[in-house]
Amino acid sequence: MNSRQLLIRDALVLFGLTGWALSLPYYGSEFAVSMALTCLMYVALSSSWGLFCGSTRYLSLATSAFFGIGAYTSALMLERIGWTESILLGAAIATAVAVAMGAAVLHLRGTYFAVLTFGMTELIRHAISYFEKSVTGTVGRVLAVVPERDTIYLTVLVLAAGTVALSIAVRRTRFGLALMGIGADEQRAQTLGVNTRRVKLAGFAMTAAVAGAMGAAVSVRWTYIDPHTVFNPFIGFQTVLIALIGGPVTLWGPLIAAVVFSLLAETLRLQAPQVYMMSLGMLLILSVLYLPGGLASLRWVTLRQWRDDTRAWWRERRYEWSGEKEREKRRARERRLV
Amino acid sequence: MSATAWLELIASGLITGGIYALVALGLNLQYGLMRILNIAHGEFLMLGAYLTWMAQASFGISPLWMVPVSFVLLMLLGVAIHWLFFRRLAATSPNLDIFEARGLMVAFGLMFLVQNLVSYVWGGDLRGYDFLTEPLAVGGAQFAANKLLVLALALAFSGALIVLFRMTLLGKGVRALMQSPVGAQLVGIDTKRLHPAMFGIGLGLSGVAGCLLSMAYTISPAMGEPYTVTALIVITLGGFGSMSGALAGGLLLGVVEAIGMHFTNPSLKALLSYVVFIGVLLLRPKGLFSK
Repeated sequence: MNSRQLLIRDALVLFGLTGWALSLPYYGSEFAVSMALTCLMYVALSSSWGLFCGSTRYLSLATSAFFGIGAYTSALMLERIGWTESILLGAAIATAVAVAMGAAVLHLRGTYFAVLTFGMTELIRHAISYFEKSVTGTVGRVLAVVPERDTIYLTVLVLAAGTVALSIAVRRTRFGLALMGIGADEQRAQTLGVNTRRVKLAGFAMTAAVAGAMGAAVSVRWTYIDPHTVFNPFIGFQTVLIALIGGPVTLWGPLIAAVVFSLLAETLRLQAPQVYMMSLGMLLILSVLYLPGGLASLRWVTLRQWRDDTRAWWRERRYEWSGEKEREKRRARERRLV
Repeated sequence: MSATAWLELIASGLITGGIYALVALGLNLQYGLMRILNIAHGEFLMLGAYLTWMAQASFGISPLWMVPVSFVLLMLLGVAIHWLFFRRLAATSPNLDIFEARGLMVAFGLMFLVQNLVSYVWGGDLRGYDFLTEPLAVGGAQFAANKLLVLALALAFSGALIVLFRMTLLGKGVRALMQSPVGAQLVGIDTKRLHPAMFGIGLGLSGVAGCLLSMAYTISPAMGEPYTVTALIVITLGGFGSMSGALAGGLLLGVVEAIGMHFTNPSLKALLSYVVFIGVLLLRPKGLFSK
């Protein structure tokens, strides 16, 4: 397939999925809608994460910071300004924080970057809970006026579909190529005339904007927020997890993984939360070890490769356990002696 | 403030600092030597603490006996984990950068796994037991005997590790590996054996730290994560890969936290350590003591 056909395919798939998600509230149960909301939230978060962090290989753990900032913005402003405005404001503030944070840390690579973004997220969380405790004298905030369920669902759907569309579009621009170039070899990209500093900053701000808008849109479902729920580092971890298991560089990987995870979360989390978390950890380890390209890179060839590897391993073990290896060695030694 | 109050304050800082140093030494060993940033390090501390608690509560074994036992058990676990996960990871990763990123992800997975396994098996409640709780007077100041014991053992273990690395051939090999992995292999240092062993020793140290912690404080499945973060802060303070830097950094952070908490507000503790951490990483990324 050439690039034009790919674009048409991706656009059609996105169109179909959006249409299906759009019709869900009219026939699905309350439970199905709530599950779809979680699913859409992670689709947006991990697609936007993959857009910057997947292609540049800058491992950011700051998603929960932007999410929480968005959530707090809408919690504080929803009564004064409208629904759309508070979401836009949430995205704008998250972007501003991302630009400031990115200017400080984006020159560091690898583990330093990951650890620093995590540290900054925790710093923001602790600073806000300290501020709440000592200045305003509250622990959390109750959202009295919330929009209807269908409004929230529609907003989240628009955000998720918009993020995937953005992801499709960015891949086809110079900007997307520059991001990929930074991921492959940052110095070479710089030599070839990419303004890496500005590109990285723009990419980081883009992820933050999506996370901030998502935080603003989803938090109203919870009706009560406090720093520990909206800045929960687990939101950031799970985003990264989903993107990595799905395949961070791919377009549809995060979406597939988000669906799988939401199903897993809803079925396992209530009965056995620890089992859910353990299987999450195990899945992450297995996918990093055996499927580094993510679920989206799974092909028949990969399965065949696994089968052949297992067989080869088993043949080796049988050779060893049957004592044939020892006998072979002894024979070789005797031949040398003679 | 009187002199005794200062003494008590600094000593309580040193006690927590000793634990910090012990955890950080283990993490530093893993990161400095193998580039594995083990985010799950604190979880193994928690595992050590739970093993000690279980031995004490169910079988009546003295926690002191559990110090070497938890070291050995956690070390074996570390060797097994290295053999199962990181060996394959090192073999399949094309370069060190990718290995580091993937190792971080595997460690995240381990964190989820161990933390939830413990809370599945033992439940999420706070646990604890009494051990040497009578106070002890030293120079006019009062200390709990168990905390002094914790400090002494933590310092003894850290000191032993540093001496091991300074004085023995094994330590020389480890330091050579830290300087240049390829060069070390060329002069005949066996990485295939040293890597699992050092990963195991790192986990063993965190097991000892957990065992010591359980003597003086209550334990819960969520206790590990703050220690991981603190250990990260300590090794950035002391410089990645520097053993005596980690010891000094750990003690320093403990004292700074104790003094800062005394003069401001206990809920600022986490905020304070993150500010120190980010400040050091941004201003002196090679560590406070680097030249």
